[in-house]
Amino acid sequence: MLKPRFAVLAAGLAVAVSLAIPPAASAQEKTTIGVSLAQDDNPFYIAMLRGIRARAQELGWDVATVSANEDKLKQINGVQDLVARGVKGILISPIDAVGVNAAYDAAAAAKIPIVSVARGSSSPNQTIHVAMDEKRIGRDIAEWTAKKLGGKGKVALLMGPSGAPTFKNLGDGYSEVMAKYPEIHIVFRSDGPLTRERGVKQAEDALVAHPDLAAIYTANDDVALGAMQAVNAANRKGKTLVTGMNGVPPALRAVKEENLAMTVELNPVEWGRLGVDVLAAFLKGEKVDPRVFIKHVIIDGTNVDAKLPKT
Amino acid sequence: MTHRSRLAGQIPLLSLIVLCAVTALLTDRFVSPLNLTNILVQSSIMAVIAMGMTFVIVGGGFDLSVGSTAALAGCVAAMVMLEAGITVGVIAGIIAGALVGLANGLVIAFLNVNAFITTLGTMVLVRGIVFLLTGGAPVSGETGLPGEFIAFGSERLFGIHYLVWAPMLLLAMLSFVLQATPYGRRVYATGGGREAAYLSGVPVRRVIASTYVWCGALAGIAGVMLAARLQSGQPTAGEFYELTAIAAVVLGGASLHGGEGTLYKSVIGVFIMIVLGNALNLLNVDSYWQRVAVGAVIIAAAAAERLRSEH
Repeated sequence: MLKPRFAVLAAGLAVAVSLAIPPAASAQEKTTIGVSLAQDDNPFYIAMLRGIRARAQELGWDVATVSANEDKLKQINGVQDLVARGVKGILISPIDAVGVNAAYDAAAAAKIPIVSVARGSSSPNQTIHVAMDEKRIGRDIAEWTAKKLGGKGKVALLMGPSGAPTFKNLGDGYSEVMAKYPEIHIVFRSDGPLTRERGVKQAEDALVAHPDLAAIYTANDDVALGAMQAVNAANRKGKTLVTGMNGVPPALRAVKEENLAMTVELNPVEWGRLGVDVLAAFLKGEKVDPRVFIKHVIIDGTNVDAKLPKT
Repeated sequence: MTHRSRLAGQIPLLSLIVLCAVTALLTDRFVSPLNLTNILVQSSIMAVIAMGMTFVIVGGGFDLSVGSTAALAGCVAAMVMLEAGITVGVIAGIIAGALVGLANGLVIAFLNVNAFITTLGTMVLVRGIVFLLTGGAPVSGETGLPGEFIAFGSERLFGIHYLVWAPMLLLAMLSFVLQATPYGRRVYATGGGREAAYLSGVPVRRVIASTYVWCGALAGIAGVMLAARLQSGQPTAGEFYELTAIAAVVLGGASLHGGEGTLYKSVIGVFIMIVLGNALNLLNVDSYWQRVAVGAVIIAAAAAERLRSEH
């Protein structure tokens, strides 16, 4: 009975490997760039990857992706694999500012430029960082919220994963502005992954602890959509404002339906395109600032119609 | 041993060879020195965890808490290191891991609580302790962890990474313990049939408890290695490592019923998991398909194990 037994395992491996065959692995002449995003199941990164692929295709480039799913070691390993594969440049959205520095070292050792898009790194080997002006966005969200609340009320903060400077900067900008309003109190603050599930849970907890919560700040639309479910379930729609961040289509629809008070459009597709353009400029030998900023737009009931995806 | 079972015992190694051969045929990047080094480094930390898991599984148990334990050890090591130097920090991290293992072992062996439930409990509990200790933020001090410690996570001795030396030495030492000492035979006897082992005078409770201490201490060592690799103590590190470790041990031919399994084959199991991920990355397989492939391989391995145990 050895043969069938071996066949089972061999079949498993064969399935795994045969999946690999369709993409053009033989097109050696084309420029290939590598992409390592912090997550591959978050709409923001999915949209960013779409932008990267679209722009790369226009330039006649191939794109090789590796996944990390918020596992730092996996991200380092993935980037090493990209380096071994011989890509010409790497676009990365690092999970945290320190933890994946070994990935930057691996790229630098092979003299491959590595451009951070969205989240950034403290690594001296980071070639360029393409990102939003995080503190300013945090301040803008806070100003908008404070105005809506008439300068008073209890506020909960659902921040991002601990250790990621993006979310710390957003939260710092937000808190900085709110501190100027003596009657606004931040009563709840927590770190966590950018998932809807966590948004529901933590917003529920915040609403149990503070039933008169006036606003919930979230670091990401997915968390916001979760928080919005909890707010609606507690019959607090319109009484507890939920603010999002990123401007993904489901969030835009939620703003239209007045479930979400506002979100910030970052247009991740454009980020992806900009990341590729910055990398292209660098590869051509043009001078690029080590820090490239991306524009942001606040979206609320007043301008959402123009932003909704056309059906 | 019959001819048949001897061959069946080599299924893990044969699978690894087939996997490597197929990948090497599909891409010439696979056999490059850079990529082979990458695979060794990528396998190192999981290999240490899988060795500990082998002790527990051979002894008839199960440990879901290794990922949390590794995170605890890494953070404890980082925190202590910043105050008291590298050596004390590393020892503190490993002791923290061994203590978690001791707690698991005492509850499982002497209170007769189910291993799955006990370690599910410690998995969550220990993760909570890690967050309490660190406040949820990565531990790297004001100016980062000591340079020599970070060098341990990235540099080489005689052309081989320190991170790879660790599992090689451990494998040699622990194989001796498990294969060539009376203690090792007791672990196999206990896992093979607790009742029979007890009747022949094996102190089964102490033996079972000891396997969890090994597992905890090895998860601790892996955690320290992880901290060196990530240049920081990361409270969220090691999530889902228990699943990869268990899958690797089963891929290496161990039986989840206990009494069967070898350390070096578990390490081969780790290589299969890592090479599979590496191959899929080199071949640019979509990350969603990668999950499907990895899952399929795990099921195939379990099926092979099942078929083998029917004879």
